[in-house]
Amino acid sequence: MSKTLMRFTGVGGQGVLLAGEIFAAAKIATGGEGLKTATYTSQVRGGPTVVDIQLDDQEIYYPYANDGEIGFMLSVANVSYNSFKDGVQLGGTIVVDPNLVHPTDEDRKKWNIHEIPIITIAKEEVGNVITQSVVALAIANTMMNAVDKKVLVDTMLSKVPAKVHAANLKAYDLGEKYAQEAMAKKA
Amino acid sequence: MADTREVISSGNHLAALAAADAGCRFMGGYPITPSSEVIEQMSDLLPKRGGSCIQMEDEIAAVAAAIGAGMAGERTLTATSGPGISLKAENLGLAQMCEVPLVVVNVMRGGPSTGLPTRVSQGDVRQAKNPSHGDYRSITLCAGNLSECYTEVVRAFNLADRFMQPVFVLLDETIGHMHGKAIIPTPEAVKAGIVGRKQFTGDPKDYHPYECEPDQPAVLNKMFSGYRYHFTGLHHDKNGFPTEEIETCRKLIQRLEDKVMLHTDELELNEEFMLDDMTGAEGEVLIIAYGSVSLAAKEAIRHLRADGIKAGLFRPLTLWPSPAESIKKYTDMIKNVLCVELNIRQYTEEVERVSSRLDIQGLFKVNGRPISPYEIVSKVKEVF
Repeated sequence: MSKTLMRFTGVGGQGVLLAGEIFAAAKIATGGEGLKTATYTSQVRGGPTVVDIQLDDQEIYYPYANDGEIGFMLSVANVSYNSFKDGVQLGGTIVVDPNLVHPTDEDRKKWNIHEIPIITIAKEEVGNVITQSVVALAIANTMMNAVDKKVLVDTMLSKVPAKVHAANLKAYDLGEKYAQEAMAKKA
Repeated sequence: MADTREVISSGNHLAALAAADAGCRFMGGYPITPSSEVIEQMSDLLPKRGGSCIQMEDEIAAVAAAIGAGMAGERTLTATSGPGISLKAENLGLAQMCEVPLVVVNVMRGGPSTGLPTRVSQGDVRQAKNPSHGDYRSITLCAGNLSECYTEVVRAFNLADRFMQPVFVLLDETIGHMHGKAIIPTPEAVKAGIVGRKQFTGDPKDYHPYECEPDQPAVLNKMFSGYRYHFTGLHHDKNGFPTEEIETCRKLIQRLEDKVMLHTDELELNEEFMLDDMTGAEGEVLIIAYGSVSLAAKEAIRHLRADGIKAGLFRPLTLWPSPAESIKKYTDMIKNVLCVELNIRQYTEEVERVSSRLDIQGLFKVNGRPISPYEIVSKVKEVF
């Protein structure tokens, strides 16, 4: 597998940073290179946050994703979506929470946009809004096939407290299911 | 047994781990973005290793506490960002004058003043050279990747004890916060390499901490070990007491200069990336960069070489004192020289000075955003 560039965007406090760390650690566990770089504003909670995730088989030097090279972006906040969408390559995949992010018609022509209610899934189907980052993780990996699923899930479980393992496994399964449905709808 | 290990971590956490592994047992700190993860991590690591980490009431108190621990004889750390260094400057001068070893990690962000707290910059390079007034020589190291956030902090502790003065380690927001794989020495390997400060073991009557060779640092015995001396920021005599005696004053300040500048061979450390095939032929490009910018430079060099432009990187890890002879060697050989910095000319001016050349090209950025590899490629194609 060659280089995979993904970008998670939201607002501070939503857990997008952790999702990036899990991806990087899982890729490294498979013998590759993974790097997470976050950018946020001084208004940490509530400010637009972006996490770039680079996964590669060779050494990664520059830690940020170059604009126009990102294959996948996931966004759960409109302010961040608008700030960072232009980094995504034409025809690239963007997943948004339709309750929070509102792509324009122009955007829909440029990118392959899927709408998945990530926050609602976490809040109502898993029962814990904090698991949204794991729902997002599952969606990203299902769509990008970036890392071996078992390694990713094991890495994720190693980074969350044991008492919430079941909830996070449920979040992962739901994310995967919704991603597969969204892809089937577009196919 | 392998003497390295693989860890997945961030630059700031690696800097903290390095301090703890290098024998640091005290941190006086005050949280400031983008360095806060250093004190956060130290507050966990140090108590487990028999040390103490104190969040003081402000930056000034934080460095004062760290210097106090250094005076007592412990390996000691403070970590901050540019605005914190500004506040600590007076006490850093005291540490230079009293010859107290201390490691100062500065995770650089946009300045001046409070600047851009969460954004990357290399705007403190000039400040690190002379944060406080008076004559002394700063020792400033700069990490250019995750592994070096560990190894440069370890090196800083050994240098602080060797030269008996503060040693800066410059990180920047990008390096401090990026998170990925790092290959670092094992704790055993680090421990085996620790060289602590010199101690006088003779009769306490014969102990004069500031009476030393003209190119050597003071020998400050650990406190409470039966040896008495005095600390002052005033010019001082062999026992540390204030004096205005002409020759004593001159010798003291000359020694602060010479203890560093006559031993730069112990300090210099550079990376030469894709320079081994340079011959001085027309069209070759020398890029000089340090810190996180060197990562973009390396990727740019990959692209430039793919486009048939023979480019290479010279990267100092010890910024101050600058590797003057090494820079001169390459700038004498290669005509096309580009300095890339997240500031305006702060190190470029040093390159101009040591190379005696005024045709050094520069790519500078001061809006808090990183310089991308493509910007470097474009600049090289534009100016050469």
